[in-house]
Amino acid sequence: MGYTITEKILARAAGLPAVRAGQDIKAKPDFVLAYDFPGYTDVYFKTMKEDFGIERVAEPERFGIFIDHMVPTATAKEEELHINTRTWCAENNVPLFERHGIGHQVAAEVGYATPGAFVVHFDGHVSQLGTFGTLAIGLRRNVMEAFVSDTVSIRVPDTVRVNLRGSLRPGVMARDVFHHLVRRLGPSSCRFQVLELGGPSVAAMSTEGLQTITGLAMFTGALTAIVNPDPVRLDYALPRARKKLKPVSSDPDAQYSAVHDIDLSDLEPIVVVPPTPADTRDLTEFLGLEINAGYLGSCASGRLEDLRAAAKVLEGRRVKTGVSLHIVPTSQELMAAAAREGLVSTLVEAGAFVSSPSCDYCFGRIATMTAGQRAVSTGTLNVRGRMGSPDSEIYLCNAAVVAASAIEGRIADPRPYL
Amino acid sequence: MTMPVMRGRVAFIFDEMNFDVDQIVGVKNIKITDVAELAQVAMQAYDPDFAKSVRPGDLLVGADNFGYGHPHYPPMKAMRHLGVTGVIAESFSPGYWRGEVSMGFPQVSCPGILGFVRRWDEIEVDWAAGVVRNHTQGTEIPFEPLPQADAEMIEAGGLVPFLKRQAAQQREQKDHAHVPGI
Repeated sequence: MGYTITEKILARAAGLPAVRAGQDIKAKPDFVLAYDFPGYTDVYFKTMKEDFGIERVAEPERFGIFIDHMVPTATAKEEELHINTRTWCAENNVPLFERHGIGHQVAAEVGYATPGAFVVHFDGHVSQLGTFGTLAIGLRRNVMEAFVSDTVSIRVPDTVRVNLRGSLRPGVMARDVFHHLVRRLGPSSCRFQVLELGGPSVAAMSTEGLQTITGLAMFTGALTAIVNPDPVRLDYALPRARKKLKPVSSDPDAQYSAVHDIDLSDLEPIVVVPPTPADTRDLTEFLGLEINAGYLGSCASGRLEDLRAAAKVLEGRRVKTGVSLHIVPTSQELMAAAAREGLVSTLVEAGAFVSSPSCDYCFGRIATMTAGQRAVSTGTLNVRGRMGSPDSEIYLCNAAVVAASAIEGRIADPRPYL
Repeated sequence: MTMPVMRGRVAFIFDEMNFDVDQIVGVKNIKITDVAELAQVAMQAYDPDFAKSVRPGDLLVGADNFGYGHPHYPPMKAMRHLGVTGVIAESFSPGYWRGEVSMGFPQVSCPGILGFVRRWDEIEVDWAAGVVRNHTQGTEIPFEPLPQADAEMIEAGGLVPFLKRQAAQQREQKDHAHVPGI
């Protein structure tokens, strides 16, 4: 019986000839990533020193720290947190990526998405490195183990395999594919397991679309998501890779706990209704619902294909007066590319507020909603209070739906605009 | 080293699937850091008398995928302050599970628990036998064994004590390895 890509990566990381799902192991992450956030990185740095006597990390090249939240800062206290982070990185010789964009995207751009690598973070959206055949797991507080020791204690997860076939129709995007998975498989379908994407349509899917789908894996209950790396993904990832590793893939006779088939050509645009990422419905059920705000951005969406979709809808049109539309490209690299393509001017001329990359729109730190307000959003999450008041509402949808809704001031179908 | 005692009454049954634990204190209270204040606002939407009726040792029971969403730590900090010693659910959402286990707060995955208890039943988690016992009804039901690291973390009382113990063990192994003749 063959092995899954996950079992192969973890076997190497554990220094064992082979591991199987269900086995408790100690595995050495190739990379340990984090963004600075109060109660997280500041606590790790302090705990390392005070409780474990670690003044310097032994292998700084294994680490990567991002400053992407609280960018730009709004209070002196936030700036102090960033100073603490900069100081720690400088003292430890650990690479710091500040203002390059949202860390999970930047991590791919700067080579932490090394095919075959095992990566840990505290934040689960790091799962999107799985696009490149990297096993990237969000451990929450437990990532501290990777800061104070070489290894992390984990159980080798089972894998749910999802085969994609067919192709998406106009107006249907990667966001819809992911939310459709939650609907079809259920919000606990992949609990404590890895969601592995495969099938004939994966090779034809955009890298950006795969980053979207894998980055949201946690809402199926998955620990992470992964794709067996194909030539397109390897062409992107290998020249940037920070470590020489042999890419690995699941064996044809690998054992999965479940196998699902999804025909992409059946899919329709979806909205995810507040207050839970589990409530996934057809867009058509909610057309006409008034909105106050639109947000296109986040680590899940906000890449070129999202910006292109929005620009196509908004070109020569105007955002409705009274609606605030925030468009935040996921990284500086992507924003510069969007500017070169002329997307930024199209969006700005349509009345969008286009900002440099930051995580802050996604969790209501800025563009904060008040009670009774409603947003359409490509952010990661729609729980109560995520973008401001607990009595505001977030309808998650694809970038084209955000753009069309911003024009009409109500949830709208983008297809007539395309 | 022993696992914490879990014997008490079923203080509440969250029978909603994919339960978002932030609702326990309400999102508007999620930034409160004072645990006594959190305990006061806890469960207002479910049972305003909860703080008065709960006793040290009591347990919570949950449905499938307990802790789904974007769980924060304050709700269970409030519960621990009120004396709750653990959660038993049909199944858990991994993010919530990891977070609470790292706080040393026992979580027990027990398919069938919803039909096995009524509110205020006296129950007990028998770690050694791998069963939850209902003393009120005289029944028992098996629970799923914990992954090794999770069991060790709960036993140690949380992430930092677990990591310290692990570091000490590793130092010891190293020291032994360097003693000539052994």
